[in-house]
Amino acid sequence: MATKDKVYKCLSPVGNRNAVDTFPLAPRLNTIEGKTIYLSVCGEPDITLALEKRLKVVYPKVNWKTKRTYITDPVPLSEEEMKTADALIQGVAW
Amino acid sequence: MYRQLPYAAKLEKAGIPTVVIDLEDQANMVKQEALAAGVPNIRFLHGSRTVPGPEDVEALIEPILEGLTRPLTKKEKESGHWEPSEQERILFEGTLDEAQTFYQQTQYIGVPVNAPLCVYTDGFPIVIPTEERVREMLTGTSHKPDELITLKSERTLRFGMVRKIGDPVRFNPSGGWNTGYFTATVEQVAVNAVMAGCKPEHLPVVLAIAESGCGVSTTNFPSQAVCLSGPIVKEIGLNTGCGHLGPGSPVNGPIGRSYQLMALNLSGAVVGITRMACQGSPLNNGGTCYGENADGLPPGWNGLNEEMGYRKNESIVMVQDIGGGIQGSQFSPGGYRAFQKSGHGGIARRFDVKGTPGPHNWLQYIVPGLWDSREGGFTFVMVPEMARHLYDYGFKTKDEVYEWLWKQSFVTIKNYRGRSWPDYAGTNGWTGIERTSGKPWKELSDDYKIPLVNDPFGNCIVIAGGQEEASVQLAGGHGNAFSIDTWR
Repeated sequence: MATKDKVYKCLSPVGNRNAVDTFPLAPRLNTIEGKTIYLSVCGEPDITLALEKRLKVVYPKVNWKTKRTYITDPVPLSEEEMKTADALIQGVAW
Repeated sequence: MYRQLPYAAKLEKAGIPTVVIDLEDQANMVKQEALAAGVPNIRFLHGSRTVPGPEDVEALIEPILEGLTRPLTKKEKESGHWEPSEQERILFEGTLDEAQTFYQQTQYIGVPVNAPLCVYTDGFPIVIPTEERVREMLTGTSHKPDELITLKSERTLRFGMVRKIGDPVRFNPSGGWNTGYFTATVEQVAVNAVMAGCKPEHLPVVLAIAESGCGVSTTNFPSQAVCLSGPIVKEIGLNTGCGHLGPGSPVNGPIGRSYQLMALNLSGAVVGITRMACQGSPLNNGGTCYGENADGLPPGWNGLNEEMGYRKNESIVMVQDIGGGIQGSQFSPGGYRAFQKSGHGGIARRFDVKGTPGPHNWLQYIVPGLWDSREGGFTFVMVPEMARHLYDYGFKTKDEVYEWLWKQSFVTIKNYRGRSWPDYAGTNGWTGIERTSGKPWKELSDDYKIPLVNDPFGNCIVIAGGQEEASVQLAGGHGNAFSIDTWR
């Protein structure tokens, strides 16, 4: 057999991706009125500053709270805050 | 992205509904990260890169409300177990020509690429990784083919998190060791080494590079380079002389290329999906490997291996993030010689040493403007003669040069406030304490000076290049060093 016709077994260069256990989303809220909702801000003040202001105007009956940082790691809710948080908006994710 | 999606996932798992706002072109990345975090159906919205904030927000208000209140679909309520498609060791059987076509296959990447890109390669033809070639490649190491790539030295991550010796390297486009979702074996690294055109004697270097996790960062203009130091440089015939950053070497080129192939195949860095460097970088196009000419070090100057904590007879690879690209000499070599040999020419006039023979500190010509639009360290790659001039001028150790360079990086707070990155990475919104003064950022006067490089060791010097008096500045300082000897 000519070399160019020889059949070779060729190996995969791809690494091993790990399996992942997947979870359902948390149940949604019936209403946001009277709820405690966190705005978790990472960077992009152009959007998030305006968003924070506008949310408070449009939904005044929500107890809005903000966790703000300019780096990519969100400021986490404390254990106590986790107990009272009803929802969280994370932005901007980049 | 790599930290925000896991955080949102943690909250969803704890029963707190979330909505994530990202930027439209990064939707694929959000989906990948959401899956990796275990919540593949996370609800996300797009902000705009161009619409002014208040206007952009108007379009987000209703969708945010909906994201938090619309009842879950059946799919969103599901839990389960995601398995990657089965990973076959033998990827293809056929002739070498057929294999070349197979390995060069492309997939069309939509926004933000809108072009077909290679699935397994960097775009160039490869050396086909036949079983025989991979077996031969593996003769370059004593490590077993099925051994996982693990850390050979302890590493500290962000926020003081420590990864221990023996921990599997978690490959990830943003960088290894931490939250990556890929692992790799010695054989899989060897496959990539074959594809890159490496020889068995290069394999310990490639394995040490793999230990870095082969991150590529995500956005902006990240470039990667690897720099070798120690006996390995001569052992494998690395070019540290004329043209060492350019083409021609059967060592520099393939080793540099192996990084980029591993970033794609082991770390999953897919352009436009998980590798979002907007402009890309020519340093990554074929990869960049260079090395230190230890014979060119002036007396008393430590080699890169020694200054990274290894012994002179140990071989290391330093993996660097060259975030700002590369800048060449700003002077003519003839003008440089006139300046040093007899004090003639423009450089001599600038520094008022006309008629005074050298040695003169030529770095004074390079530094002004270096930090005008960038913060952080640089790697100064200089030829032996120019390093010798610095020594003769009075810098008897590299550390003395580092100290001098660091002092040149100081700017006023007023200058610093007018820069882009400090809002984000430098000061976290001007909160907290400035290091050198111990005072809150907002209390410092406009004329207070701070360094743009964290500490003197933030800059790096590598001796390499030919005979002509030229230097290049790589915009990124010392990287992380990995032992090559542990992978022999």
